[in-house]
Amino acid sequence: MLNDIETRRTFLRKMQQASMAAMAVSLPSASFLSSCSKAKTSQARADSVILLWMAGGMCHTETFDPKTYTPFEKGMESKAVVSTFPSSPTVLDGIHFSEGLEGIGSVMDRGTLIRSYRAADLGHILHTRHQYHWHTCYEPPQSVQPPHIGAWIAKELGPVNPVIPPFIDIGQRFTVGEGEELKAFHSAGFLGSAFGPFFIPDPAQGLESVRPPKGMDLKRFESRNKLYRDLVKSSAFGEYGSSYQQESYLRSMEQAYQLLKSPEAQAFDLSQEPKEVYDLYNTGRFGLGCLLARRLVESGARFISVTTEYEPFLGWDTHENGHTRLKGMKAQIDRPIQQLILDLEERGLLDRTLVVLASEFSRDMLMEGRPGANVRDQVKVPDQVETLKHYGMHRHFTDGCSMLMWGGGVRKGFVLGETAAERPFKAITEPIVIDQVHQSIYHALGIPPETQYTIEQRPFYTTPDGTGEVITDLFTPTI
Amino acid sequence: MFLLSSHWLLELGGKLHPLLVHFPIGLLVGAWLLESWKHWRQGSQDYRQMVYLGAFFAVCSVIGGALLKASGDYAGETIRWHEISGYLTAGLAILTALYYKYRSDQFPGRAYLLLSISCISLTFAGHWGASLTHGADYLSSIWTSTDQQDQVNLAHWQSLSSADSFPEDQLNRLNVEVRALFAHRCYQCHSEAKRKGGLALDHKEGVFAGGDGGAILVAGAPEESEIIRRLKLPRSDEEAMPTKGKLLSEGEIDLIALWIEQGAPWADTTLKVFREAPLALKRPALPNTPAEIKHPIDKFVHVYFQEQGIEWPNLIDDRQFIRRAFLDITGLLPKPAAIKQFEENPSTNKRQELIKHLLSDKENYTLHWLSFWNDLLRNDYSGTGFITGGRKQVTDWLYRTLIEDKPYNQMAKELINPSKESAGFIKGIQWRGVVNASQRTELQAAQNISQSLLGINLKCASCHNSFINNLTLEQAYSFANIFAEEPLEIHRCDKPIGKFTAPGFLYPSLGEVVGDSLKERLASLAEVVVQPANGRLYRNIVNRFWQQLFGRGIITPVDELDNLPWSQDLLDWMAAEFIQNDYSLAQLLADIMSSQTYQLPAVNYSSPAFVASEEFVFRGPLIKRLSAEQFVDAFAQVVQPFYHSRSYDPDSLEMDCEWIWHEEIEVERRVLPKPGIRRFRKSFSLPIGQQISKAQLLMTADDAYSLFINGQKLLEGEDWQQVQQLDLPIDILRKNNQIAIEGTNEGIIANPAGLLFSLRMELESGDTLFVHSDRSWKTTKDTSDLDWTALTYDDSDWGGAWRAGRFEKSFWGVLPSFNFESTDTALFVRAALVKQDDFMKTLGRPVRENVTSQRSTTSTLLQSLLLTNSALFHDKIKEAAQAWLAAGQPPMEAVEELYVQALGRQPNPREKRILRKQLKSAEPEEFLEDVIWSLVLLPEFQLI
Repeated sequence: MLNDIETRRTFLRKMQQASMAAMAVSLPSASFLSSCSKAKTSQARADSVILLWMAGGMCHTETFDPKTYTPFEKGMESKAVVSTFPSSPTVLDGIHFSEGLEGIGSVMDRGTLIRSYRAADLGHILHTRHQYHWHTCYEPPQSVQPPHIGAWIAKELGPVNPVIPPFIDIGQRFTVGEGEELKAFHSAGFLGSAFGPFFIPDPAQGLESVRPPKGMDLKRFESRNKLYRDLVKSSAFGEYGSSYQQESYLRSMEQAYQLLKSPEAQAFDLSQEPKEVYDLYNTGRFGLGCLLARRLVESGARFISVTTEYEPFLGWDTHENGHTRLKGMKAQIDRPIQQLILDLEERGLLDRTLVVLASEFSRDMLMEGRPGANVRDQVKVPDQVETLKHYGMHRHFTDGCSMLMWGGGVRKGFVLGETAAERPFKAITEPIVIDQVHQSIYHALGIPPETQYTIEQRPFYTTPDGTGEVITDLFTPTI
Repeated sequence: MFLLSSHWLLELGGKLHPLLVHFPIGLLVGAWLLESWKHWRQGSQDYRQMVYLGAFFAVCSVIGGALLKASGDYAGETIRWHEISGYLTAGLAILTALYYKYRSDQFPGRAYLLLSISCISLTFAGHWGASLTHGADYLSSIWTSTDQQDQVNLAHWQSLSSADSFPEDQLNRLNVEVRALFAHRCYQCHSEAKRKGGLALDHKEGVFAGGDGGAILVAGAPEESEIIRRLKLPRSDEEAMPTKGKLLSEGEIDLIALWIEQGAPWADTTLKVFREAPLALKRPALPNTPAEIKHPIDKFVHVYFQEQGIEWPNLIDDRQFIRRAFLDITGLLPKPAAIKQFEENPSTNKRQELIKHLLSDKENYTLHWLSFWNDLLRNDYSGTGFITGGRKQVTDWLYRTLIEDKPYNQMAKELINPSKESAGFIKGIQWRGVVNASQRTELQAAQNISQSLLGINLKCASCHNSFINNLTLEQAYSFANIFAEEPLEIHRCDKPIGKFTAPGFLYPSLGEVVGDSLKERLASLAEVVVQPANGRLYRNIVNRFWQQLFGRGIITPVDELDNLPWSQDLLDWMAAEFIQNDYSLAQLLADIMSSQTYQLPAVNYSSPAFVASEEFVFRGPLIKRLSAEQFVDAFAQVVQPFYHSRSYDPDSLEMDCEWIWHEEIEVERRVLPKPGIRRFRKSFSLPIGQQISKAQLLMTADDAYSLFINGQKLLEGEDWQQVQQLDLPIDILRKNNQIAIEGTNEGIIANPAGLLFSLRMELESGDTLFVHSDRSWKTTKDTSDLDWTALTYDDSDWGGAWRAGRFEKSFWGVLPSFNFESTDTALFVRAALVKQDDFMKTLGRPVRENVTSQRSTTSTLLQSLLLTNSALFHDKIKEAAQAWLAAGQPPMEAVEELYVQALGRQPNPREKRILRKQLKSAEPEEFLEDVIWSLVLLPEFQLI
């Protein structure tokens, strides 16, 4: 009897040992996390991703999915307000965009317009919580820290060019309101900080982050490094013996040195662009971010996020003056995005670069959250529009949003899904959720859906439980 | 062995082994095939050259293999067989070659026979070699497993199965074993949590309901059961199960088949599949060891070393010891004088005395260990007002707890049953909106207590019955209900299941948690948890401290206390001793650190994976990298203070003034201040007939400022962390006075800006008057007027100042030097009290949204980039270099002094040569900057 029990125990222990390696430990160090599957890059349609992030809730009916134009009239009923801009035709037959987006409309024959994205219902609205969900595919809070999609991609695919960091985040500062909540998802989470974002808050100063410290020329930089190497060799550290920690430390110091003196670092320098090109993109930080993204993709970046920047009540987050402010927002994004697509195409890069434009949710004049939902703390909207200040989409709407994609095998001149013609303007066909969006992006990059790591002994997939489905309609069929 | 492997040529030889082995394989087998052909076809070709060459390479391979073994962590049966067969092959090959050379003309048959034997031996060597590199089952996995180890205890069942029916207890056991198999091999995909193919194997209903494809078993008829069919399919078949990991062994499948044959009985006992550590502590007797092993910890380690065949190595020297002890207790570097004094101290007991002395420096002990506790209690994160009241800090409580060395049982009590000050830990983080049921704050409380205090993972069980330990969903809710005002409805995977459960603790054997109100239950829970019978609580903290000091816990990961320790006796003895010593954390540190075990040299373990595995053998501490906080503090000690501002101020020297700035509005919204110059004015009057005896002011601004009083320029500043203090000439003040400040927000894009001002005037009457920066000040962005500093200037069209205090929490924190009492303007603020910033974050200080049990010890490119080109870091180095030169010290002397400060030693002659050479080719300031930079990034400085 005793013997049997012993056997079983030994057996159980062996089983545990066998899975130990896979279970790793709860260390956030990704250095020895091993994924169950390696990316099948041979099937990849894209090498790089540019995410154009419309922070703060971009209203679909005021941008890429316009409805009936209801011009401003003093005293008009709020519920009568539908779209506050007239619409204008795009290059696609029968497809109109809201006025002010003609540039983007002109390149839609190169990409797909999704009109049926549905953001999750997370109860009463907090932008950063929806943004967390969009970027990680996991609803906050989580008991472990999930990685940003850029970190997953950086981890699975690594850099395209070894000296360009694989995950670059352009335009977001964290000194703004909700900065801590923003930090919560701008992170590689359990994958470890090695895969975290490389921040460039101001694209015009991108070069600062990848060149030797200010005031140090290359000659001195090299001489400093030589001094360092010589001192390392003669330091008394030998008495402690070699170790993987020391090796990893010296290796990363060497890598940093190589990056900072590499010619590729010039990709971060916008001043090297011809003035007319620079001016074409320069509608502000977002526009220059698009230009920087293009330069980085040319030099071999993997994942780049360019944001209009989230700052509470600013940018796309219109709680009043929606109409007036959106004019400015459209002017900020229209030309640079059009130019980005054209430039990528001209350079033969668009086919291998997936460009995604998205926002955490949409907006509406009256509807907060979902139809039928009674969401707390709604933005106050008067029954009647007395001034231009009241004219615009000031509440948060989650049930129908627009998203654009180009390149990376995405169909050209295609429209997916539609929203209702009458309020509520919710998605009525082909509803798309974030798990599908993520899985489709991973699909384009050749990262298989079963990609997972064991964290605190639990499997943790790129999409929750690995169940996100690829939106197959999105891609041109392969032969 | 270590010496041997350290020469690169030898290492290369070893690395070439996997390449070399293919030559003898190709050549000898090739020769054998050709010889066979020749024998068959009576040919006359000569293949002897191939045999010679094959023999030569066989010898090379063996040498390479020996070198490889010497340099790596190879051990065990497989390697032994590979080694033996390898040597045999080489021997045989030489013999064969010699035979071919001298005798094959006479006896060609014998030569061929010898060659054949060599090839057979080669085949074996190759097989064992492949088993090493591809895994033991690389060959056998082609067939259904014949692996003897996985035979479970089938023999036992087979001996029984001759009888037609089993007694009930045997049936139950059989079922439990099958369920254990399911748990380990199938749950990952087929459980309530996952239900791949609609199948859940983690409960009776699921097993008998089957999956989308119908029933998986037919009781009594294994041959008709789908599960058996699928399990027996070869790996190549799409339907083969499991799809992940190894296939089940024949024995395992037979066991399941036997269970089905017996009618698939289901035992209604709660299944305890996973190892559970006993709650109670062993109190092992101190082992008998040689007289020179006196310390109890050393006695246990000595026994362990004997079992493992490890000799005690030489202990570290005084210089290493004092550095290690300082960094481990205070997080600071020892000062050169302290090192010297320590080295010269003849006392045999000096190391123990040092530990005692360091622990008496309560403030620095607290400021170092604060980071450990902040990580563990996920304290010191920062939130904004948007998540109203959704977070709470316990910093104040924690600081006092550590500085008082509050008994740990009391500390745990106060965390579980908190006062207002310690409420943040179980309060958790409440995000706005609807959250997943498993992340309700009550469940967060249960999860965090489980992880941080008890070393068990409740996160899985918060959603569904756990498949990594024995905890159930109901247990998780029961635990969470202790913290709930109203009982929580159980949600499985975020879906309500209509069930409720009574409040209760995870380990009912420790006693019941009673109470109708929340307050009563918390008090009751606290008593249940902290009782000495709950060994987990104490093992947990001892194990975590051990990890802090040695780089790896006695059990790893420290969050999984049910894993096997490398020495249960040592762990339990320390935990029991800790209880004996009135739960003193400082005493626990003293106990561990006064052992010889603590003085073992750092060990070069092969890889992080090995350290994390159960195969780990303790030989001494891991090499540790300075934590973000330790690095910043060490830098501040040696080079230049890094931070001047705290987010938490234990001394509470805060003054009553406000950070203010010009209010910037865009489309009716306040926005981040734009770069540019803003002007500020404030007038004040002195009471009539009062004489001022003394006037002092404090001033700082982000980013720069010029200060005027009554039109006279008094002060300028460019670094907001450098508070300026000025004794004001009294004659400058009149009855009516005008303060005018020009502030500059630098940068290209909008960023935080503010100024902070205080003027203190002592009157001869003994009264004190203050003028503080606040919202009564006036501001403008118009800079056209020239006379704006004058008292007579009309500022009626200026706006009111905006209180920029919102950046205070998230950005500036508290400036301890902004105080009339503080005289030390170069005050250096300990990193643990500084708000998280990008610099420390990149160096590994966690964001603390979740409990952090261990920080990463390996380096990343982003870290090195930061250290190589961060402007902040570079500026600090520049300031330091300028300060050294300003003090008039010759550069070489300064460098020697720096070496002593940073490394506790003079540069050696070789280093001096390098440094002198460098000095010749560079400006002194640049030279000094580059030396400082190199010095603080040397592994000798960075690694402990």
